[in-house]
Amino acid sequence: MRLWRKEKSLLYALHPARIPAAGARFTYTFGLGGLALLAAVVTALSGLALTLYYVPTPAEAHDSLVLVADVVAFGAIARGLHFWAAQLMVVAATLHLARVAFTSAYRPPREFNWLVGLALLVLTIVWDFSGYVLRWDDGAHWALLIGTNLVREVPLLGEGLYRALVGDTQIGASALLRFYAWHVVGLTLAGAVGIVYHLWRVRRDGGISQPPSASTAPRAFVSRDHLFTSEGIATALAGALLLLLAAFAPVALGPAADLRAGLADRVQAPWVFLWVQSLLRFLPPLWAGVLLPLGVLALLASLPFWNRRATGRASWFSPAGRGEQVALACLALVLIGLSLAEVLR
Amino acid sequence: MKRSWLAGLAALALVAAIGMVFWREAHPGWQAWPTLYNARQGPEAVPLVVQALVPTQTGRPELCPTCHVGIGDISPSHPAEAFGCVVCHGGEPLALDADRAHSTMRGGRNPSDLSVAETSCGTEDCHGGYADGERNHVDRVQNSLQATYAGAIAVLRYTFGAQDSPTAQYALQARTDASRPLPAKALPSLAALPSPVVNATLDGRVQQNCLEGGCHLWSQPAAQPYYYRASGCAACHYLYDDDGQYRGADPTTPVEEPGHGAEHRLTTAVPFTQCNHCHNRGNYSLKQMAFLPREDLPAAPAAPAAEADEARRLAEYYQPMGEFTRCEYELDCVDCHTGGEVMGDGHLYGGKQERNYVQCQTCHGTPTAPPRLATIRESDELARRRARLAGREDFLAVGDSVVETESGELLWSVKRGANGELQQIAKVTGQVYTVPLVAGSKCEQDGTTQTSDHCHQCHSVSR
Repeated sequence: MRLWRKEKSLLYALHPARIPAAGARFTYTFGLGGLALLAAVVTALSGLALTLYYVPTPAEAHDSLVLVADVVAFGAIARGLHFWAAQLMVVAATLHLARVAFTSAYRPPREFNWLVGLALLVLTIVWDFSGYVLRWDDGAHWALLIGTNLVREVPLLGEGLYRALVGDTQIGASALLRFYAWHVVGLTLAGAVGIVYHLWRVRRDGGISQPPSASTAPRAFVSRDHLFTSEGIATALAGALLLLLAAFAPVALGPAADLRAGLADRVQAPWVFLWVQSLLRFLPPLWAGVLLPLGVLALLASLPFWNRRATGRASWFSPAGRGEQVALACLALVLIGLSLAEVLR
Repeated sequence: MKRSWLAGLAALALVAAIGMVFWREAHPGWQAWPTLYNARQGPEAVPLVVQALVPTQTGRPELCPTCHVGIGDISPSHPAEAFGCVVCHGGEPLALDADRAHSTMRGGRNPSDLSVAETSCGTEDCHGGYADGERNHVDRVQNSLQATYAGAIAVLRYTFGAQDSPTAQYALQARTDASRPLPAKALPSLAALPSPVVNATLDGRVQQNCLEGGCHLWSQPAAQPYYYRASGCAACHYLYDDDGQYRGADPTTPVEEPGHGAEHRLTTAVPFTQCNHCHNRGNYSLKQMAFLPREDLPAAPAAPAAEADEARRLAEYYQPMGEFTRCEYELDCVDCHTGGEVMGDGHLYGGKQERNYVQCQTCHGTPTAPPRLATIRESDELARRRARLAGREDFLAVGDSVVETESGELLWSVKRGANGELQQIAKVTGQVYTVPLVAGSKCEQDGTTQTSDHCHQCHSVSR
């Protein structure tokens, strides 16, 4: 009698019975989408643990995190896992986007799922930012002030958006509660639905991208056992990495935010936003904080529509997608360059 | 086959990581301190658990005693049970990570540094906000000569021709006294120190030898034996032994490096060694614009200041050139020099000569007049409070008569005894002396014109 049978497990059954060998090759996907999914699951579970102690009020938010970090049993581990898995999620999702872009996998019929993925990346970043704010330390105070004031820059709608986001005429208890609710409930719901849809859509669009069928060569397949084992290995290694980071690379927590006091002299934005911080130094806020980020997004969203008939799908750096690849590489270089400039400042 | 090996290794890595997480969880950094405490005090003196203190005044838990085991109350009038640590020190009360816990501390190790004393010692709930200015100690001391350095600055500038008269105009920080009427000799304000203080040529040495390394309450001490001290209120009230050695039980304060207070303790019974971290250390040479330290001292004794015997007092107390009587080295500085002299009366003055009012005759009288006495009328009046703070409440009762200085300050430690004789209790040692009077002795002093310097002509001790 066996209590657990692989072929009867849900995760196993969710995989297609056989997968095209070209798409399942590790050096094709590097497992980045799966890694982002794993990171999302770890973030959600560790986040659930944090909700047992976190108190979303200005008076207690920071203290409750100090307690979690230093006193609560396995609290630092939970917080470390939450932070590092969230960073892994941003990194893995971004690299996943790059993989899809540089293998031209966004080409039809996958152009809609490309947009879904892009929306998920934006959601991931907003999720990340809202979590950063919940620290309620001096860095979070600064980030919140800058971030919400950028929303104000949106023409016509700015003030209304700001009120909706902050729930007050200035940041305070309402802002913290709203960011908490969005972080824990709103964005989590949206993220869960979005991720499930994104995965389902991969299946509906014909599985992992592969070269358009050439009638001459027979197509090779691998069984889902193969993929299942690979995923198991990746999960164990990524899990080990996250646990070690959580245990030995403690997450920063600055002094409690003091909304009456001035801001610290030198504050650095969370790393995802360094390039925006850099732009803010020499461009007006509307451009640096609203229009250019939207422009980056629009550029990425437009990729599938540059050349809809081109082939080159499922191969790295196919000549058929050269224009898009160059545009993307330039964009990446600019964003990385701006971020580095801000770090080295 | 290769893949199953990989899978096995990955599983092993995961198990190892989980193991390390548990190991980390079982060995939090703070445990080092109670462990060290137990190693010194005897095994299992304290359990290795998080210790929470909930001060009655704040009601907010503080975990500081987890590491600072056995640090002890800062004074009987500031029990940790009532005040805790954070109300004075700031910091993160719930943190156990040392860096985090100390990240927001007020004034670093010393919350009484004058840059922060107003927000720690001098808040309205504590030593500030009283209608009676005498009780606003932080305000008062900031106007005192020990903090303004007004006399020294004036002499320095006048000597080098930077100002026309020796009258004080400047202080280390700009200070204004708004109270009116001002007492005689008090100044309405002192301006912030000009730059350069004297002139551009001398400024480097002035900064280095007089201001930064100087002996005023804002300055940091020289990190060497006999000189170790804190700044601000703690410069006087937080005792450092001559060797700068910590002698308390807190395991976090290193005993192998000097430069720490003897223990975590504030006191008003300040021994002469504490005053001597600045005073009697040597002489300032205006000509060389340098401090010339005295060279007659032996290596700093590795013993608490409170245990100084007569021989050590005689050797350490005064500089070789000093003239002093026996009572001046048997007693401590604070047995004669009052709080009003040392911490000021809240007004601004231009030099030490305007604040020194206790003379030999204050207690010993003159050939024609006994010392002035005043009667203690209320249980909570200043003299009684001072006696209580020094831990000598039993010495002074309502109805006792004590010596009164010419400025009207009462010397609570010198009272008339049951047989009419004057008794003095030494604030630090608790020893009681009978004060001999000049009247009726062979002394030929002229009480109206002669000062303590004249007494030394006959009564000084030779070493």
